[in-house]
Amino acid sequence: MEDTTRWAMRGTTACKHGKPGPLVSARGDGNNRREEREGDVEDVGLHRIQSIARPTTADEAWRLRTADPETTRFLGGGIDLILYTPETVTTLIDVSRLGRAGVSAGRAGLAISAGTTLSRILEAPEIAAYAGGFLRDVLRQVASPLQRNVATIGGAVARAHPWSDVVLALLVLDADVEVFDGAARSVPAADFYASRSQNVAPLVTGIRLPKRAPSTRGAFEKFARTGFDVGLLNCACVVEVAKGTCSRVRVAVGGTPALARRLPDVEAALEGKRPSSATIGDAASLAARGVDARDDRRASELYRRTLTEVGVRRCFERLTRDGMEGAL
Amino acid sequence: MTSLELTINGARRVVDANPGDTLLEVLRRAGHVGVKKGCGSGDCGACTVLLDGRAVNACLVLAAKAEKRAILTIEGLANGDALHPIQEAFLDEGAVQCGYCTPGMVLSAYDLLSRNPTPSEGEIREAISGNLCRCTGYVKQIRAVQTAAERMRSGRNG
Ligand code: FES
Ligand code: FES
Repeated sequence: MEDTTRWAMRGTTACKHGKPGPLVSARGDGNNRREEREGDVEDVGLHRIQSIARPTTADEAWRLRTADPETTRFLGGGIDLILYTPETVTTLIDVSRLGRAGVSAGRAGLAISAGTTLSRILEAPEIAAYAGGFLRDVLRQVASPLQRNVATIGGAVARAHPWSDVVLALLVLDADVEVFDGAARSVPAADFYASRSQNVAPLVTGIRLPKRAPSTRGAFEKFARTGFDVGLLNCACVVEVAKGTCSRVRVAVGGTPALARRLPDVEAALEGKRPSSATIGDAASLAARGVDARDDRRASELYRRTLTEVGVRRCFERLTRDGMEGAL
Repeated sequence: MTSLELTINGARRVVDANPGDTLLEVLRRAGHVGVKKGCGSGDCGACTVLLDGRAVNACLVLAAKAEKRAILTIEGLANGDALHPIQEAFLDEGAVQCGYCTPGMVLSAYDLLSRNPTPSEGEIREAISGNLCRCTGYVKQIRAVQTAAERMRSGRNG
């Protein structure tokens, strides 16, 4: 036994090689089909991909992408491409050389380049100091550290899974998305998602977080067993505290099962108020009534409304309990 | 097929790869079978390797993205016959049963301890949260990482 475990420690436990063994399981179809054969390790990856382009400017990347939208995709960290690439895609456009990854602070707030990994963002001191560490705390609950070391913020924003915690957080932080679609521009995150009906979604080149008052705090709640899980619902709020009352209130709910959206009525109901248990309770019920909840195979509309009420209440209760006692 | 130049455990290797091959496929073909395949979809962590010092799922990284970056697999951790303190601690604490998850667990712990020599239990749990184990209850693995951290701090091994 001792010997066997020592071999395992050197990574030399036996593995089967040779001809593909019997089929053990299969799932998905087309390029995403995953077949599991005994002893087989040759069944993952993107076998239709013929080339990877490595442009050094956004303009070049955009030209490559628009020249043949069906067969090309932008490649960031690559996780989603490995898991879900359409079978028409034969060329990947690696956008990691378009800018230096990192978080930087300027007079207008923070700038995060698209190629920055989620790990690097959550470890950045600027992010720990921003909105009471709200974004850091959200990112800690996204996927696993192994995936966060690869996944980029640009990829998370561009892919925008409906259950995305990243998109939810950016909405309540009033983030702008920097894009390139022939010209560079900056758009509020909400507008970016509202206008994404075009044939080829713009290339995401960065994120901007506006400068916030030091009293800004946020809270996040996700209904999932682990970071890996596609949550049943997620919600977040961000507020500034002035003279014991809330201002610039932002509340959003995601995975409804649609992509996160802000709830302006709930925000207005809390604006200028002191968050007592009565005001929090009223806001939570308003959120439950106003959320665009629907049924899917994972949860019913009714259950999602209940989760919204609980989630919004917990977020505000946590805000009043944690960092805001002094201010409220 | 094209040629990729990879730096695996400090040695430069030229390997044949298709543009869509994952790092997991390429490393195993190159003989690094300590990199295990469990799920092929980022859920189990059996394929964990270090890329520029950070633990990643090799099944979720295209091999082409690992060019010009340092790859560390479990085979590169021991110094000849002398196991790394994390490996020793896993043995001493009985944190290995079938061993399939072990290379990934050890490398996730390595990433953690190289950045944080004094992790709390919560931080250890967080660091290995992407590594699933079907055999143990994680208790001994967490203890092994704590033991390794203590030994590495005091410069001892075993
Ligand atoms: S094989 Fe890579 S995470 Fe399971
Ligand atoms: S020891 Fe068997 S899977 Fe972990």
